[in-house]
Amino acid sequence: MRQSPFLSVATITTVAVALTLMAIFGAFVGNLQEMARRWSRDVQVVIYLDQPPGQKTLRTWLDHIERQPEVERVTFVSQPEAFNRFRQRLGDDADLLAGMTPDILPASLEIRLQEDFRNRQGVATLANTLRSNPAFADMRHGQDWLERFESVIRLLRASSVVLGGVLLFASLFVVANTIRLTLYARRDEIEVMALVGATPFFIRVPFVLEGIMQGVIGGGVALTSSYLLYRAALSQDMAVWLRATGLEQLLFLSPSAQVLIVVGGGALGLAGSLIAVFRLGRA
Amino acid sequence: MIQVFNLSKSYARDSAAITDITFKIAKGDFVYLTGPSGAGKSTLLKLLYCAEQPSRGQMLINGLNLTRISPGRIARFRRVLGVVFQDFKLLNSRSVYENVAFPLEIQGRRSVEIRQKVYQTLKVVGLEHRLNRLPLELSGGEQQRVAIARALVVDPLVLLADEPTGNLDPEKSEQIIELFRGANARGSTVLLATHDREIIRRHPRRVLTLEGGRLVDDRSP
Ligand SMILES: Nc1ncnc2c1ncn2[C@@H]1O[C@H](COP(=O)(O)OP(=O)(O)OP(=O)(O)O)[C@@H](O)[C@H]1O
Ligand SMILES: [Mg+2]
Repeated sequence: MRQSPFLSVATITTVAVALTLMAIFGAFVGNLQEMARRWSRDVQVVIYLDQPPGQKTLRTWLDHIERQPEVERVTFVSQPEAFNRFRQRLGDDADLLAGMTPDILPASLEIRLQEDFRNRQGVATLANTLRSNPAFADMRHGQDWLERFESVIRLLRASSVVLGGVLLFASLFVVANTIRLTLYARRDEIEVMALVGATPFFIRVPFVLEGIMQGVIGGGVALTSSYLLYRAALSQDMAVWLRATGLEQLLFLSPSAQVLIVVGGGALGLAGSLIAVFRLGRA
Repeated sequence: MIQVFNLSKSYARDSAAITDITFKIAKGDFVYLTGPSGAGKSTLLKLLYCAEQPSRGQMLINGLNLTRISPGRIARFRRVLGVVFQDFKLLNSRSVYENVAFPLEIQGRRSVEIRQKVYQTLKVVGLEHRLNRLPLELSGGEQQRVAIARALVVDPLVLLADEPTGNLDPEKSEQIIELFRGANARGSTVLLATHDREIIRRHPRRVLTLEGGRLVDDRSP
């Protein structure tokens, strides 16, 4: 059925705007999550040692720690190693260390946790076990702020669901009313079809199909425009900022989320036209 | 075929368009419905094709009680009707061909059959050279003939026609009446509303006369 181009464009635009906003927000939250994932991978428990241990003691400690179920790997960092690392990190300012000896920095044991234990619970369990050794008194980990960061992400995700719901509802409302305008513009034709014996189903199906098609096109437009925005963001010189956050690459939506955008557009068109067509039935 | 008992219809509360009409039309009959403008001819036909609901009374067509028909069955019922509307009611965004093909498409006929039927019927009404025109590019009389073709194309059980010669010169009117007589000969029961006395004089058949919404005369030649 031939529809007014203006109304088709209105439907497509509504769907496209709503879904573009959702895509941008989704990509934003997705990137934060990736950031958190990378940071949590780096979470380590570090034990600073007052006295560098002898070979034999060290061997026992390493064996003991490695046997813990939470532990993926444990590395001993000797005083000279710590000193070297520090000097490297200072870079051009390394001459500040002139005249100092490696023994200003403590030796340490760096423990990397198994993925499943990279959380408050895992760290606490491990800390409890290891604390029985008085040499391990000075134990540090970056768990608390990570948990806080993750709860911020959870909050963001929850608000994106709410925001998405509101957006979807608003665009559904607009789409349904636009399609209702289309139906209204064609009411004479609809009446004639009915008078000649067309069933309500036969009359409505084209409008619903048209709605689905416009929704899918809107979803495609949303996907394209959010991808272009993503490319634009990449081309800005964001490399420095990204490395600072631990991300090597700004991520776009996952393939399944991309499909979801287009399918969601179709679903919006379907729901909107069904609502419009259902109201026609009652009028 | 058509049975009407004590039928009344009022659009507004205090004015009746149809009052207490009773008549029967047998299968295969050809009947004129006449009367002055505003007598209720169109209203009676609208009741018969279920575009309006009666205020009182009963109607049956082909044994189907139209006063208690569900909306879902109206569509099915209308497919055995051929209706020529006083204001044509063509689909203005579709070509002449598509307009005439439409009732057959609704019935789910095969496209080969549809094409044959549509050509044949358009030829009968003399519009085979206007296939691809849009209705609004045609004269009033041509539009009327498209409307007639659309009603005839389904070989209707009952043919209801509201002033089908209203826009035509006497010669064309004569041709149109021949079309209805032909459909009648092929088995359609015809109820034709007109105030063209000339037609009735030349092709005398049973005449129902309405006046002020009442059936004032029912006469057969
Ligand atoms: N939709 C409507 N709403 C209110 N009144 C109506 C409506 N349709 C018709 N009427 C009234 O009902 C009466 C009968 O009208 P109807 O159209 O049936 O007359 P008619 O015999 O077909 O006249 P004509 O020969 O001019 O076509 C008229 O008084 C008209 O004003
Ligand atoms: Mg009339």
